[in-house]
Amino acid sequence: MNPKKNVSLIVGIAIPFLMIILVAISIYVPALFAPAPRINFLYMTGDDYGQGHEYIVENSSLVKREVKYPEHYTPSVARFFLHDTPANDDKELSFEEAQKLKLKTSVKSSDGWEVVYGNTDYGAFPLFFGGTTDYNAMYLKGHNASKKLNLQSPNDERYYYRARRFLGWIE
Amino acid sequence: MDKNELLKHIEALASQHAITKDEVTAAFDAGVGGDADIEPTPRAGISHILYYVGGAIVFLGISVLIWQHWSTLNSPAKIIGTLGSGVAAYVAAVCLSREERLELVSRAFYFIAALVMPLGLHVTFHIAGLDTGSAGLQSMISGILLITFLLSYLVNRKTMFTLFNIIFGTWLFFSFTSFLVGGHPIYDWKFSAYRVLAVGVAYALLGYSFTETPHRALTGTLYGFGVFCFLGAALALGDWKPHQNVFWELIFPGLVFGVMFLSVYLKSKAFLTFGSLYLMGYILKITSEYFAQSLGWPLALVLTGFGLIAIGYVHFNLKRKYLP
Repeated sequence: MNPKKNVSLIVGIAIPFLMIILVAISIYVPALFAPAPRINFLYMTGDDYGQGHEYIVENSSLVKREVKYPEHYTPSVARFFLHDTPANDDKELSFEEAQKLKLKTSVKSSDGWEVVYGNTDYGAFPLFFGGTTDYNAMYLKGHNASKKLNLQSPNDERYYYRARRFLGWIE
Repeated sequence: MDKNELLKHIEALASQHAITKDEVTAAFDAGVGGDADIEPTPRAGISHILYYVGGAIVFLGISVLIWQHWSTLNSPAKIIGTLGSGVAAYVAAVCLSREERLELVSRAFYFIAALVMPLGLHVTFHIAGLDTGSAGLQSMISGILLITFLLSYLVNRKTMFTLFNIIFGTWLFFSFTSFLVGGHPIYDWKFSAYRVLAVGVAYALLGYSFTETPHRALTGTLYGFGVFCFLGAALALGDWKPHQNVFWELIFPGLVFGVMFLSVYLKSKAFLTFGSLYLMGYILKITSEYFAQSLGWPLALVLTGFGLIAIGYVHFNLKRKYLP
């Protein structure tokens, strides 16, 4: 074979391998150098009836408001969790305990992390990666890195938008 | 014309001194060396197509059979019906390919194997209780298929195996990179665009490397898919106002003209056609993105129309002059 064509064969085969290596580096290397997240946050499960949330954050505090549910509708039980970010672990709180926390509702914490949903693993059709959100998985995203959060599942095992809701950073 | 007819014809020509021994040996050497520029006769072309259409129909039949009787068939029957059929087709193809006159039929059986084996692996893993839609399992399935056909290629260097290796290799590349990334939110649609871009470049390079090999039948297809993926991904990476990426929007015309220039060097109609089409698409995109408001939509349309006429003219002339 013509040496020029030999080179094009080698480069053509090498490109996918190089890209796999680059992807692996881009996942693992920034995570090694990113500062460890240290700000804890409060989140809840349940309270997922449309946009009419019963629990909201007002003036840096969690408050309960009146929501009129339709007849025969039983709202799922609301549960509150304090996420210990350095340990990536949860502690369940009562509403009264959660109410005492001072919450900051900014998207990003003061150490540059934000709580986001994951992306769907497309498997058979990975061409359109990044098109939909995976509401089952949540991540801390920041500093060109992301870390998967170990969070509690919604108590009725329904996974959809805002079944698990970030309420605020505890600073 | 079969072999005996051909030999008798050569004898007849030799007796009339219409052909020399050197010409016969030169033609033989060109065929053995893979240098001969052989176009399939219309009859061979139709029979080729019929073999592959037949293979696709067999695949369809097996799929429908399993789908219709999914609830009544037991697990071994489902696995034997799909994966078993795929393996059987592969074994049959190997046996048929040993006989020279059945070479074309063996290709049809390899084709059936390449279509049915992925189905069989999906069914088998599904029955084993695994999530066949996950990127991890997709990587495993495509990996198994790639290894199977890569080993087949090493034993018998058929162009068909090269094609299957490219298809299964691409599948493995996409599913394995998805597996690596998982659900990490830092990767958005641009990640897919870069993957398509990389595949486009790889296809074009492979197509070029095959031009003087027995696999040169794949060159045109690889050029076509390669340039389509490459320019499509580059155009998509430019995004749209106000999220536009200036780098990709500025570099795109250079890439298109580079592709059109390469079409002359590589004698590729696919490069010229897709280059022209993407340049038209780019002009439409940029005009509607930036000039529709400032110049006014009617004037922007007039300019776009003239731009498209100019591209059409250049395309026609390049094709007539360099790619007859």
